[in-house]
Amino acid sequence: MAAAISIKGLTKKYLDVWNKTEITAVDNLNLEVEEGEVFGFLGRNGAGKTTTIKMLLGLIFPTEGEASVLGKPLGDIEAKAQVSYLPENPYFYDNMSGWDVLDFYGRLFRIGEPERSKRIQKVLEDVRLDPKAWKRPLRGYSKGMMQRIGIAQALINDPKLLFLDEPTSGLDPIAHAELRDIIVNVGKQGKTVFLSSHQLPDVEMVCSRVSIIHRGKLLAMGPISELTAGEKVEIQAEGIQNGVLEKLQSLTGAVEQSQGRIRIPATDADKVSDVIDIVRGAKGKIISVIPHKRTLEEVFVDTVLKAGGD
Amino acid sequence: MSPSTRKNLIIAIVPLMIAVVFLQSLLDPQLKQIRGAQRTPLVGLSNEFILGPLLGLQQAVAGLLWIRADEFFHEGDYDAILPIVRMVTWLDPHQLDVYITGAWHLSYNFTDSSERSDRRYIPAAMKLLEEGDANNPTVYDIAFEAGWQSIDKIKNYEQAEDWFRKASLRKAADEAGRVTKSPPMFVRHQLAHALARQGRIDESLAVWKQCLTESEEKVKENPNDSSVRNVRDSQRHNYLLNLKRKFSRYTHEIDWPVDRARTQSVNEQTGEPTPRDAYLMTDQKEVTSRANAFRRAGEPVPPMGVGQPRPPATRPLWDTAFDTQKGGTTTVTFPSAKVLDIKGQMAVGDGARVTIRLQDEKWREPKLKDFTFSVDRSVTLMQDQHSVRNYTWGRKIDMSKDPKMYSFSGEYYFLILEFNPRQTSPFIQDRFGWSGEGITDKKYLITIPPMREGQPPLRMIRKVYRLSRAQIMGSQPVTEKDVVPNADFDRFQRELQQTASR
Amino acid sequence: MVTMAIAKQTLEDMLRRKILLILLIVALGMIALGPSVGFLSPRESSVVLRSMGLAVILIAGLLITILSGIQVIPTEVERRTIYTVLSKPVQRYEFVLGKFLGGIFTVFVMIAAMGIVFLGVLAWQERHFAPDMLKGVLLTFFQMMLLGAMAIFFSTFATPVVNFFLSFSLFIVGNMSAVTESLTSNKNPVTRILASIVHFLIPNFGNFNIQNKLIHPEVTISNETVFIVQNIVYAIIYSAVLLILAILVFDRREV
Repeated sequence: MAAAISIKGLTKKYLDVWNKTEITAVDNLNLEVEEGEVFGFLGRNGAGKTTTIKMLLGLIFPTEGEASVLGKPLGDIEAKAQVSYLPENPYFYDNMSGWDVLDFYGRLFRIGEPERSKRIQKVLEDVRLDPKAWKRPLRGYSKGMMQRIGIAQALINDPKLLFLDEPTSGLDPIAHAELRDIIVNVGKQGKTVFLSSHQLPDVEMVCSRVSIIHRGKLLAMGPISELTAGEKVEIQAEGIQNGVLEKLQSLTGAVEQSQGRIRIPATDADKVSDVIDIVRGAKGKIISVIPHKRTLEEVFVDTVLKAGGD
Repeated sequence: MSPSTRKNLIIAIVPLMIAVVFLQSLLDPQLKQIRGAQRTPLVGLSNEFILGPLLGLQQAVAGLLWIRADEFFHEGDYDAILPIVRMVTWLDPHQLDVYITGAWHLSYNFTDSSERSDRRYIPAAMKLLEEGDANNPTVYDIAFEAGWQSIDKIKNYEQAEDWFRKASLRKAADEAGRVTKSPPMFVRHQLAHALARQGRIDESLAVWKQCLTESEEKVKENPNDSSVRNVRDSQRHNYLLNLKRKFSRYTHEIDWPVDRARTQSVNEQTGEPTPRDAYLMTDQKEVTSRANAFRRAGEPVPPMGVGQPRPPATRPLWDTAFDTQKGGTTTVTFPSAKVLDIKGQMAVGDGARVTIRLQDEKWREPKLKDFTFSVDRSVTLMQDQHSVRNYTWGRKIDMSKDPKMYSFSGEYYFLILEFNPRQTSPFIQDRFGWSGEGITDKKYLITIPPMREGQPPLRMIRKVYRLSRAQIMGSQPVTEKDVVPNADFDRFQRELQQTASR
Repeated sequence: MVTMAIAKQTLEDMLRRKILLILLIVALGMIALGPSVGFLSPRESSVVLRSMGLAVILIAGLLITILSGIQVIPTEVERRTIYTVLSKPVQRYEFVLGKFLGGIFTVFVMIAAMGIVFLGVLAWQERHFAPDMLKGVLLTFFQMMLLGAMAIFFSTFATPVVNFFLSFSLFIVGNMSAVTESLTSNKNPVTRILASIVHFLIPNFGNFNIQNKLIHPEVTISNETVFIVQNIVYAIIYSAVLLILAILVFDRREV
């Protein structure tokens, strides 16, 4: 399968005019997103997610490196015709009605009539916007309705590739859930989705593959199953002779001891047999060995903390 | 955008800017035409009035200012108007009415408590009109106004003639705002009056005749237009009236066989019974011999009415007997400080006007280089007129209430009493001619040589006193010893003129 | 199509701006109330009515043009709508041209409204139609088009506040063409060169001031049509230069 997005050594540096220091927003980023993938792009606020998306859309220009979108260089008009973008907290011309906004964006995609009206009708239905609101000005819309218009304008051109920047932020739980379903549906239609988010449960639910970016650097990337693999195991034992404790500690890190029992809260799966050998060699008795599967959230927090996040 | 596209766009700017510079050079001369007059630099204007012009809103700011001036007029706050007149004409030198109203205001609206004009403003008024006319050299309006002020206020008929001639050659704006029309006929009517006032009767008649011919044409074209007919009728009236006046006073100059028929027709048209008229006398011989008698004596030939005599015209020469009639004299007294009480006698008909003028000894008409509305407050210049009734005239002139106009800060003054036949009413003129040909006076007659070709010399009466400040303050009496011989006065004025021009 | 779509959207957006509508209403009111001022003579009344009418159209047009010109692009950035527009298959030059045209359509609609009311008031007051005034209104529009192009150009790199003062002061400098023109023949070579640069290279807004000709019938000009056509060509060419510059800058701009 061809790469929908291919990023090589992409770097964006800003000059802070006040301090005259250089800020690296995106640092030597390498990334490939396959066609048809729902790709999660994770990172804390200010990690460089939006900067990366803006570079991919040609809104800002990379300092170094190169990238292609749908096989075309950045900013290419033909590529843009098959791409769409939902910015974070989008705002549309609030004196226009939902229909008119979509009509305007449809014109920008050079979609002629009557095709344009058909498409508008379809996407408004797809995003489940109440038909009564279609011809009302946007200023009367709720946050959730606004976000649906945002998705709708991103679907109007029937894109191959969607960039969604924090699409669910600030929504109430029901709207949140509905929107998540819409994104899942989009993914099912075979479209490539580049989903930037810090809503980890959402990402876990909809994405096939994720990457974690922190301070402009890519820390981890892979299918969710791979990232969350590498289980941790909790081991409890008793009757252990003195002197072995230090040995266990040096192997696993943290070891808790109370009332003649010891507990090793989390150790890597490959160290389990070593631990058991040590315990047995010291005439100890294994009480329990409990495996723990990691969540994406744990992976994310671990990864970021390891990279020196605070 | 590809680098080559960028480069092409940058290159495209060059020919476009060349086109811009070229167009600008085409536009500049046209803009000069539109701006027209050279505006005086914007000095002395307050900030709020400077921003407007910078935005290209001169005309609008001028309009706003003029609305303000209009309010001042209604409030009678005349002093506030002059700076506005100056500003408006600075900003928009094409507001004809501002020049005209401003000049009229300068000449007529500054008065003392007895409504005598402050004539110190007249040079400024004329200068303003001159400036306005120079800034609007295609239209007649301002030149006409200058002519009108010359004839009405200044009574300088030569100057009036020049302005009216200028105005008559200009154009007027039509309803659509295009300057295409000939100026209205009243411009030439005034020219004819100015010529008649100078005693240039034939030229005046020629102007009337020309107007009349044109109007007859117009009446033929628009037989139902009553306004055209009215103009024609008034021109005919004026033409015939002047013709008659000429014939009755200058009979000796008439070429009889021609003029007799003409006179007949004049009388028919004016409806006056022919036999009553002087110039129908057939005794050409008598007229000619009387005229020749004057010529032999080296005296100017007076106009002579012949035939049916009219009372004043019976006298071949008219002795105005200025201040010597029945042993009387002009008496000048100052009963209190700055109050002039003057009485005199003069043997002319009722309605003749004597001009009384009191001025600084060294005063002369200032030649203004540029318009200014400030006057020299130290100058004293009073002018008044009084009509003769039953051979006497007189007036009490109180100048004590207006120290701003009459400061009397100088040491010596001239009090000038004048009777100028050219300024007097037709019925008086008819008795001794337009230029005073028939008047005599033993003491005070002066003859002013012609100033224009075709103009007869002017014979007028002038008596001049030289007064000290003490006399004006009433502390010393004024006597006949203070009278300055006219020859001495003329020489003094000439010297003053020479000193000033040096 | 894209350019016109952006222009249409901009026009509709601008026509809903309260500040512009208030300006328009005040201007219309002033034009309509013009005849209520009393004067000494009918000619003065005519001169003042015309000069005031044209002045109101100019001032209102100036404010409307500057306020919309400095805003059309920054507003898109501020509201972040520019992201959704420029991420679509829209060339940056199409965006700049669309915004410019939208702003100019706005100015055109408003100046046309004022012009119609002005002619109506004149016709009512003077009992005859004065189509000559349309020439003044037309030149004011092209003057505003040039100013609008300049404001758009500045808005590609300056903040609206800076742009306001920049546009306004250059409008003033450009209006002093009489001064700069006379300085181009100054004796001092430095003054001469500087004045020439200002006179020929800064948009010469004074070129469009035909009011004097329209208000005062005694002012004549060789050929009025030629003058008006040259002015319009000048406005179009110079606007094109400014728009090219705006496109060049905006093409490199990060949004």
